[in-house]
Amino acid sequence: MGQDGSVPAYENASKESPQPRPRLRRSVEDGWIAGVCAGLAHHLGFDVRVVRATFVLGTILLNGLGLLAYLVIWALTPQALDGEHADAPRPAPTSLPRLDRAIRALRTSGRDEAFGNVLGGLALVVLGAALLLERHGVNLRLGLVLPLGVIVVGAVIGWSQLDRAERSSWLNESSFSGRRGVLRVGVGLVLTIIGVLLLATQERGWAGMGDAALSALAVLTGAVVILTPWGLRLWEKVKREQAQAIRATERADIAAHLHDSVLQTLALIQRKADDPAQVQRLARAQERELRAWLYGGGQSAETTLAAAAKAAADDLEDRYGVPVEVVVTGDHPLDPDTQALVRALTEAMSNAVRHARPPVSAYVECGASGIEAFVRDHGDGFDLDAVPADRLGVRGSIVERIERHGGTARIRRLSDGTEVALTLPVHRPVNQSLNQPVNQQTLPLKEAHDA
Amino acid sequence: MPEPRATTHGPIRLVLVDDHRMFRAGVRTELDDSLPVVGEAGDVDTAVEVIRRERPDVVLLDVHLPGGNGRGGTDVILGCAGTTTESGAPVRFLALSVSDAAEDVISVIRAGARGYVTKTIVGEDLVTAIHRVADGDAVFSPRLAGFVLDAFGAAAGEIAEVDSELDRLSAREREVMRLIARGYQYKEVAKELFISVKTVETHVSSVLRKLQLSSRHELTAWAMNRHLL
Repeated sequence: MGQDGSVPAYENASKESPQPRPRLRRSVEDGWIAGVCAGLAHHLGFDVRVVRATFVLGTILLNGLGLLAYLVIWALTPQALDGEHADAPRPAPTSLPRLDRAIRALRTSGRDEAFGNVLGGLALVVLGAALLLERHGVNLRLGLVLPLGVIVVGAVIGWSQLDRAERSSWLNESSFSGRRGVLRVGVGLVLTIIGVLLLATQERGWAGMGDAALSALAVLTGAVVILTPWGLRLWEKVKREQAQAIRATERADIAAHLHDSVLQTLALIQRKADDPAQVQRLARAQERELRAWLYGGGQSAETTLAAAAKAAADDLEDRYGVPVEVVVTGDHPLDPDTQALVRALTEAMSNAVRHARPPVSAYVECGASGIEAFVRDHGDGFDLDAVPADRLGVRGSIVERIERHGGTARIRRLSDGTEVALTLPVHRPVNQSLNQPVNQQTLPLKEAHDA
Repeated sequence: MPEPRATTHGPIRLVLVDDHRMFRAGVRTELDDSLPVVGEAGDVDTAVEVIRRERPDVVLLDVHLPGGNGRGGTDVILGCAGTTTESGAPVRFLALSVSDAAEDVISVIRAGARGYVTKTIVGEDLVTAIHRVADGDAVFSPRLAGFVLDAFGAAAGEIAEVDSELDRLSAREREVMRLIARGYQYKEVAKELFISVKTVETHVSSVLRKLQLSSRHELTAWAMNRHLL
């Protein structure tokens, strides 16, 4: 009950199930006071004037029973939604909508129909009990007629409120909902009627106290059974509001993220529309960010070799506007050795991005015996003997760094471009001194293997 | 070769399937006259209809498309099963996507796509890829090669004893895949391994066949649990 499925099930069922009569709803727009007569007339298919006359006559001839019934129905019947009674014939324009509004405003938390209904139901029970007590003091026919009227009206309303769809909704068991719903309401009715019969047929005087108590209990049980749908409706409404709140929060999160990322980038792009390179860089960075957000699954960027390599490539792309396609097979946790590998890899990628031609691709393979990493560009290559001075540091920080961590670095010149290959054996003891910064000025150049 | 090679060198008739009009327009401008675009579609149902009517040589297929059974490009390939060109060769599909999700890769390849490239591919490489697919060869981007190495456990050292084994790569196939993952073109792979480009193509097609036919458990489990980097 109250799971996500119950609300759509309710809506579907109410659309599909044949409904010979419209549900009882107060039709405020068409009514004079609270729309009780108009709603009842629409529900029963009578002329609204007949219904009104009945209530007025009932009030005058039956010691106010008509008024009482009116108030009870008012309290228990939900207000018609917009358009629910659109097909009903519209009598004269409402003369007293303000009164209705004022009275409704007096009721607790105005719009909360279900809560109002429960309060109405409780009022009904209290009223019945009060009249029952009065019966012991003043032994009038009124004392019998009023509780009888109240009980019957309550039962009728309870019955009319329960269409097939609602029963299945509050029982939430489609297979036997109809029968169970009928059974429950039927039991309520039987109990109510038994209570009434006991009330009407009991002997007068103190000897009848036991019977009176029994009858009161029966009435109360009946009332509880009849009121259950309203309680459940309230609960369902609370659940629905909870679900809506969760959805709203999620929406707000998504909106906030899109605002901080996508909308900002779009604004930037509009401002830099005349600079294609900038626009492309912004679009790429945003695409990456959005993709990480959509598919990333909240993985921390710096805990594994694969994530670190990817993050380094992204960083380079942001800085230089050249994409590096990084492919990683397997993965390895980051330790000082693999961190050194990532730094060397980053230097190699940075070198390729700044000095060579795209496409630049990097491949990292984490095998059982070691890690291999390759950075491939499509530049003209370079002569190792004629390396410009500013490349010295880069070379040193690649080759020397990886060798001090037990690995090797090779630089190959291909027919089209250059490839840096790094290898690092895994599962070897970690040397504490390895993490010192590289002094780039004094490192000797390593001879690289040309292809 | 698992499929007969097209021997014609006439224009390769293309159909573009992508739900972004802008992207279709962008691809058009990158293609030359030897690659006439004979049809475009933006959703699964239109795509199947256009492909069945036009019978193109190659379909550039986005992985994510509206319509169909909700599986995008996979639905298009399945919906066009058995469609051939005028000359009787099967209509070939080259998947083109921004998606990094492994399940997208494996889904379109297993449905029958001859290759998978990402949308960041440069125009020149795209033209080469289209020609290769039209010739019945497979097109592997570095990313797809990395995926294959991972999915077949080749990166961890699992190697097939015999070439016909479906659940593992042979040593040679692994070498080819590794070089492609490193960004090598087919001719560079050939030079590196001292074999012909044709042999490289044979190896790649063989890997594609294994990718499509293998029931290797990791292939599906991996695709479900992990996203390509």
